[in-house]
This record gives sequence, C-alpha cells and structure tokens, in this order.
Amino acid sequence: MSATAKPGMNYNRGLHLRRKIYNYIFLALTGIATAIALIALFLIMETLVVKGIAGMDLHVFTMSQPAPDMQGGLLNAIVGSLVMCAIGMVIALFVGILAGTWLAEYGDGTVLATVVRFLNDILISAPSILIGLFVYELLVRPFHGFSAAAGAVALALLAMPVATRATEDIMRLQPYALREAGMALGANRGLVIRSIIWRASTSGLMTGALLSFARISGETAPLLFTALGNPFLSFKLTQPMSALPTTIFQFAMSAYDDWQRLAWAGALLIAATVLTTNILGRALTRGSTQK
Amino acid sequence: MSFVEPTTDTPTVMIPPPQGDRVIDVHNLDFFYGKNQALWGVDLPVARNKVTALIGPSGCGKSTLLRTLNRIYDLYAGQTAKGEIMFDGENILDQAKNSEQLRARIGMVFQRPTPFPMSIYDNIAFGVRLHRSVAKAEMDEIVERSLVRAALWDEVKDKLNTSGLGLSGGQQQRLCVARGIAINPDVLLLDEPASALDPLSTAKLESTLMELKDSLTIVIVTHNLQQAARISDYTGFMLLGRMIEFRPSSDAFVSPETKAMQDYITGRFG
Repeated sequence: MSATAKPGMNYNRGLHLRRKIYNYIFLALTGIATAIALIALFLIMETLVVKGIAGMDLHVFTMSQPAPDMQGGLLNAIVGSLVMCAIGMVIALFVGILAGTWLAEYGDGTVLATVVRFLNDILISAPSILIGLFVYELLVRPFHGFSAAAGAVALALLAMPVATRATEDIMRLQPYALREAGMALGANRGLVIRSIIWRASTSGLMTGALLSFARISGETAPLLFTALGNPFLSFKLTQPMSALPTTIFQFAMSAYDDWQRLAWAGALLIAATVLTTNILGRALTRGSTQK
Repeated sequence: MSFVEPTTDTPTVMIPPPQGDRVIDVHNLDFFYGKNQALWGVDLPVARNKVTALIGPSGCGKSTLLRTLNRIYDLYAGQTAKGEIMFDGENILDQAKNSEQLRARIGMVFQRPTPFPMSIYDNIAFGVRLHRSVAKAEMDEIVERSLVRAALWDEVKDKLNTSGLGLSGGQQQRLCVARGIAINPDVLLLDEPASALDPLSTAKLESTLMELKDSLTIVIVTHNLQQAARISDYTGFMLLGRMIEFRPSSDAFVSPETKAMQDYITGRFG
C-alpha cells in the first residue's frame, strides 16, 4: 500500500524507513526477552532433572530420613506432604466451592459480595509466610506445640481463595438460560445450583482444585511455622510432621552430600507433581470447552 | 418509515376468544426493569388448547410478557410486574403464590436449547422427580411418552443414557419440549424456540407443537411471521410495550386493522 503511493500524496520515505527500523528493534527486544525467560527455565529444569535423577533411587520412596552418611529416603516427607495437602485440600474445597457459589449465585451485585471478592483477591496474593505466622499464633502457640493439623490448616488457607475464585469464575460461565430452564420446571434456586450448575461446572471445578493443589504442594514457609518437620514417619495430626518442601529446605542447607542429593530428588518430585497437575488441569479445561 | 409512538390514544383492536375458553387472562399489565417500564397496560387472553402467537419488532415486550406468565422474572432483583394475570381463578402476581407449583403447571422452552448436563433420560426425569416420587417403571413410561410426543423418541430410544449435550440443536430443543411436557403442564410457553434451528428442525418442531395442542395450551413468541401464521390460532401484535392488535390468526395476517400491524406484516418496519 505505502510502496505504491498515489500520485499527489506526499509519500515520506524517511518516515516510513524509520518506522520499519523501530519495528525491527521492537521485534528483536521481545525476542530477546522471550529467549532470556526460556533459557532461565531450561537451565532450572536441566539442573533439576540432572541432579534430581542422580539423587533418585528406590530408597527415596521406601525409607525415611537418614542420619548423615546413612542409607535413607524421603518416605516421611512424601507421606507428610500427601497427608497435609489432602487435608488442606478437603478444607479448602469445602469452603472455597461454597463461598464461590455464594459469590456467583446469591451475593451477585451486593456490596458485601464486592467486598468479599476484593478481600479474597488480596488473600490470593498474600505472602505465604504471613499465613504461616497467622496459623502459628492461632494453632501452634495456644497448644504449645507444632502439629500436622496446623500445617494442614495453613495450606488450606492458601488454597481456599484460589478455589473460591476458580469456583466463582467457572459458575459465572454457565449460561443464565440454564438456570432459568431449571427454575422453569419448578426447581428452587438451591436445587438448580446443586444438580445443574455444579454438574455443568464439574471440569472447571476439577481444574480449579488441581491448580490450587499445585499452588500449595510446593509451599515451605507456612509449614516451617506450623508442621515444623519430623525426621520420622508419622501419621499423628497432633505431632510435628515432615513435608517435602521443609525437608528440602533442611537438607539443601546441610553440609552432607547425601542429604543434598536427597534434596534434589525431593525438588524433582515436587516439580513433577506440579507439572502433572497443571497439565491435567489444562487437559480438563480443554476437554470442557470443546464440548 | 417512521411511526408515532403508541400512547393510550393509539387505536388498538382486541378480538379475544370467549371468556369461558380462556386459561390465562392478562389484564392491564405493567412491567418494570428497575425504573424502566417495558409493558404498558397489556391485555392478553390465552385460549385453552390453542396456540397463541406474540409478534412484533425487537424490544416490543413480547418476551417480557411471556416471562411474566410463569413469573420466571422473579429470579432477577429489580424486575416487577403490576396488574392482573388470572390463572385458575387466582392472580399469579400475588406474591404469596408458590411460584414453584405455578411453574409445574406453566412450562417454558427457551430461545436456545438448554439441555441439562446429564443423560437424555435424566433430563426428562429431573423435572418429574421435582414434583413427585415415581417408581422406575412408571418413570420409563413417562420418559418414553414425553419423547414420543416431542417427536424425538425414534432418534434417541437407543441412547437414552448418553448425554443430552451430544444431540444436535434441533434434537436438543425437542428434548427441552419433552422435558417441559413430562411434568404435564396446562400451558407451555415458548420464547422464539426455532430461532437457533435450521429449517428442517424448525419444521419438525412446528409439527410437534401442532400435535401437542390437543392436550395443552401454547403461547409462542416468534420473529417469524410465516411461523405465526402457520401454527397459531390467535395472534397478538405488540409495539413498544403495548398490545396493539389481538385477533384470530385466520384474519390477522390478511386484514389487520391497525396501521402499525399492517406496516409490520408487510415488512415496512421491524
């Protein structure tokens, strides 16, 4: 278009050239930035995979934390992470799904809902160490002891706002006609939500759950204040419990080669878990939008 | 083409069905979206076991009028109706009336198909279970009968347990009709039910409605004048929130009396 300027039109060759150059510079800058991000990610993944696999063996899954220079694994940490994440997720999903439902269905348009939504968004980005301190004051100090229960509550508080937000968002996506269709048959609001809207939102709710699980599975700070860590395999909720992130923190800072190798293996385990849940979450979302 | 905004002085023509034949009788209905008035003193007599069509340009209030008849507007805070909608000897606008029971007797089908995210069978059973507990054998019978009446049975009888979402648009809309009639309502309201369907599906839906007429009263909002002429017994023409002309369909499209309706059906506006 610009190359074939119409007669009489003042075609400014210099201006055109300058714009072209700026365009290339801009393109180059975005390209370089992308490359930096990708290289960083690649280096992280490479270190993690190389060192993680080097530290990986069957004992990682079958034995608990060793004394320095002894044979051992991460069983106590893996079990601890699973237990606390599972309890945390149950609490977070129970509260999050109900709260998100209230925001999407009942509170819609009210001042209270706007305030709740705003506070929830703040909670989503709250530093996890604050949550840890809060639970420490609430459940550790009064009972004079660190406990797995306190750890689970801290993780629940982290996942809750994510679950609330995800639930509200996915329920808002359901067409209003679907609610009207349920009501038009004579169903009340609650029944329409439970048996139609929730069902229509299932894959989205699953995605939300997986993403909030991914969010808490690598959290360290809140657990340091609450579950503390435990060198032995424990299932008692009233006692301190180990978790992968806290164990990695402890082992990576230690002076022992064995412990450092186990720390890398644990880091690889967490990364693989987060990656898998994210991929699962995305697959579920894609499946539901194609329907 | 311009036309004068209708006022209380605008000539209106009402040739209603006889009093005794009416199942729903709307008198002097005003409707408000918040502070905006959308219906102005509307009258609508609905004859039993007939098809009543509501036509008019977009925004004339025909869907709003339809949505008052089962009080579905209740869902939205700020929407209010004033006036009288007599059904079964009572004014349904009376807030004390149980709207869930009302909706069991006045069903509704929407513009876009709204199958529930469950099996074809459960889509129909859902509404029935809301109002009474039914044994499996009887439910099977109700599901079959409803699908047969909605002219969908032959297409779905081998896949009743598959998701209703897997059906085509036309089939989904007939599933919604089947779901609506399964609870045995007196009246079925349809809000432009064919606007998202292809001509073949539309024809199937129309023939379904014609057969349902024997046992049920139908009120249908449509943009399609041929459709209104084909299937309806009475036609109401609305403009800017007012009922301008109401008369038997047999002459509504041949000799409308008001200038506004003449202009509309000859395609001069709308």
